[in-house]
Amino acid sequence: MSDNYDVIVIGAGHNGLVCANILAKKNRKVLICEAREKCGGLLEESITNFVPQIPLSVSSSLGGLTVKYKAKSSIALSESGQHIRLVGNQHIDHKVISGFSSKDADRYVEFHDKMSSFSKALGSFMMASPPRIMNNTFSDYFKLFKLGMNVRMLGKKKFNEFARMVGLNIADELEDNFENTLLQGLIAHDAVLGSNLGPRSPGSLINLLFRMATHDNSIFGGIYEIDGGSKAFVDTLLDISNKNKVEIKTSSSVKRCITENDKAVGVELHNGEKIYAKKIISNADPRSTYFSLLGTENLDTDVKRRIKHHRSKGKVAKLSLSLNKQPEFINCDKDDLESRMVIAPSIDYIEEAFNPSKFDKLSMEPILEMKLKNSDQSNPALDIQVQYASYGAQEGWDNIKDNYVDAVIKLIEKYAPDIQSCIETKAIVTPDDIEKNFHVTGGHWHHGEIQIDQLFMLRPIPGASQYRTHLDGLYMCGAGTHPGGGLTGIPGRNAAQAILEDA
Amino acid sequence: MNRDLRFTALKKTPFHSRTSLASRTNKYYNWNGFTVPTEYSTTELEYTAARNGTSVMDLTPMCKYMINGSDANRFVDYLVTRDLSQMEDNTVAYIIWCNEDGKVMDDGTIFKFSNTKFMLCCAVKIYNWLHDSAEGFDVSCEDATDTTAALAIQGPTSCSTLKNYGADDLELLKPFGMKQYNINGYDVLISRTGFTGDLGYELWTDPANAENMWDSIMEAGKELKIRPFGMHALEMTRIEAGFIQTNTDFMAAEDSLRPVRMRSPYEIGMGWLVHLNKESYFVGKRALKKEKETGNSERCLVGLDIDGDKPAVGSVIYNEKKEDIGIVTAAMWSPTMKRNVALASLKRPYGIKIKENIFAEIYHPEELEYKKIWAKCKVVKRQFFSPERRNKVPADLYE
Repeated sequence: MSDNYDVIVIGAGHNGLVCANILAKKNRKVLICEAREKCGGLLEESITNFVPQIPLSVSSSLGGLTVKYKAKSSIALSESGQHIRLVGNQHIDHKVISGFSSKDADRYVEFHDKMSSFSKALGSFMMASPPRIMNNTFSDYFKLFKLGMNVRMLGKKKFNEFARMVGLNIADELEDNFENTLLQGLIAHDAVLGSNLGPRSPGSLINLLFRMATHDNSIFGGIYEIDGGSKAFVDTLLDISNKNKVEIKTSSSVKRCITENDKAVGVELHNGEKIYAKKIISNADPRSTYFSLLGTENLDTDVKRRIKHHRSKGKVAKLSLSLNKQPEFINCDKDDLESRMVIAPSIDYIEEAFNPSKFDKLSMEPILEMKLKNSDQSNPALDIQVQYASYGAQEGWDNIKDNYVDAVIKLIEKYAPDIQSCIETKAIVTPDDIEKNFHVTGGHWHHGEIQIDQLFMLRPIPGASQYRTHLDGLYMCGAGTHPGGGLTGIPGRNAAQAILEDA
Repeated sequence: MNRDLRFTALKKTPFHSRTSLASRTNKYYNWNGFTVPTEYSTTELEYTAARNGTSVMDLTPMCKYMINGSDANRFVDYLVTRDLSQMEDNTVAYIIWCNEDGKVMDDGTIFKFSNTKFMLCCAVKIYNWLHDSAEGFDVSCEDATDTTAALAIQGPTSCSTLKNYGADDLELLKPFGMKQYNINGYDVLISRTGFTGDLGYELWTDPANAENMWDSIMEAGKELKIRPFGMHALEMTRIEAGFIQTNTDFMAAEDSLRPVRMRSPYEIGMGWLVHLNKESYFVGKRALKKEKETGNSERCLVGLDIDGDKPAVGSVIYNEKKEDIGIVTAAMWSPTMKRNVALASLKRPYGIKIKENIFAEIYHPEELEYKKIWAKCKVVKRQFFSPERRNKVPADLYE
């Protein structure tokens, strides 16, 4: 029998690292088992280009983080060169939009204010662990009451508006407000980003509110790039882990949870090693946690059903192009190239790209979010997030990968005609690759759709919404738990709190 | 206009050509999508045959599922609350199963052929439940309701009847045992099981053999007081035996709209079928363990011995302060035991700690007027009728 630990964390993704360090700071002896050779999970390969800032509540519970962020503006690219550039500051954005339509500019400010107040109402709820109604405890009811109050305090008119908008699709709301299709496309892009929704899918609006709640309650503000790349972020977390004496075992894939008297007491690695601890925390996605770690034979049928119905089909691929020179984007200056560049020229364009993905097929004209790296150096690179690159595509990723990459590049060519001649190498990571390489079921960013049936106390599944699984002693701290992914560290922090509460 | 009823009409069982000939009343009812007789002649006569001769009942509408696969043994053990890990081949076990909240979904019998082959018999359709529960187990579940004809042969002379039919050495079959026969050139599985609380057997075969089986058995029992019996007579025998019926004595968890109507095994007297010390997990174990530990079961299902001779059908049960403490779920005047008996669902501690001084309010119809009777009840063992011959090996034989 190996050393005994207080806590074993399965998976060294950022949430796992956050959770482990908070516990280690409270004098728990913590071990992290990571299946891959490197730590950081999806963060390590920069699967997402842009991130929100780690909230103060998380960084302070880690004793402060030294990560530096660079704020990013957004640019919606247009084939005609009439791009829209937004920074998240209402006055500047108003001026920019009024260059296209003064009506849109005024409406934008109103729309933003409304959305912002709604996302603030959700905000406090986002940070804390969600209530569990079946518990019948005062604090759970109080939490729910507080959310209700937050929303009700918006006033009767806004409350009605909130109720109207919660189930709405983003396209209807945007078309009611704006006439410029490029602006519509940009906002719709952010609403569906990382999800399995089109702009006309019901529920796409709440997706945007959720995103705003972690991005400073702003639509285009609060979008950052980590200084030094995500590697810098991982290194910071690893430094802290070192200081807190968190032990990390890499290349140690966990096979299953060891149980005694229906309680989790340790883990068994694939190499047969058994390690014991008082508590086990899974940073893995809900399906892996339940079906692999806990094991189907230890689950009630109803729980199996919920996990089977848990929606986690990834829709975003990451294409990395290394370049020998900087491509010429039509009508883009240096600042524009530093921005978050989005190719989603209209709602209809996005919906067309979404259509085939309903049938697990691929659109050859997907929507893109791009980041140009090292633009002032000799080895620039273009990181592209390609949305509606369906998990388990019917065409078969192996057959179609090359054609698909070519199609994406051809699409970029419309905005940067010389892109072909700049490319040195290309590498794509599809949702299937994410599943295989990072052990995330479905290769989903958020370990599960952010939709009304998988939010708050329903996330990831009813009965497991407060970071505790159905097995005593086994917890979850990954993006599959409330409030979801997006590099906030909140699930990790909340899970650590749940464990401290139970101790 | 004649509507095409091919897809909506009730199905006929493979015995229908025989049961319909035997029916003098033409009274049928819908059992699980099949049309079967409620009674053939008179319920009293059929009941009497069941207790004194041989009674024959068409069981085909019972839900039957075949469970095959290398994990079949583990799967069945996971599905039900009872510990079946030590179950022997060619035996049958009475079982219940629960949902995740530890509420009973149904009861039934499980037939074990081998570690890789089982048959499950029950009242409520559960194909989806089996299929979804099987996730992670190497098993296949198949609905065999339409492809298996089943006949219950019950009563003191049932063993002799079946021996005449061709089931050699049947008297040596133990209760809850089963044996494969080849009779008249076809395979018949005979199990010593039943729903009457008496000596009795159930026969399982391919539908193609059904008519021959019926005819041969009727011929074999000619001198042994054989008689087909319907649902009403079965209801009488099962109450006497103290057997519970899903959606009569308790609501199946999946069928109850109100969560408060669902019952745990402890609340319907089935605690003895819950093996919490079973090594592996089973569906509902966590919830049942909690209920057992906290002792927060709210109700119980008990037998009542009621004063007088008026059946307490649907009666409300009261304590001495006339507070409502439960309801009768099934009641009858037992002709065999000359006792007024009932099954009742009571609010604890009534039925568990308090067994005396409880009363049934009986409304007895007398030629368009109701007589209200306030009858004293005593909580007794639910098994009202259990004759020695029921479990005797070798079984009694008659000529």
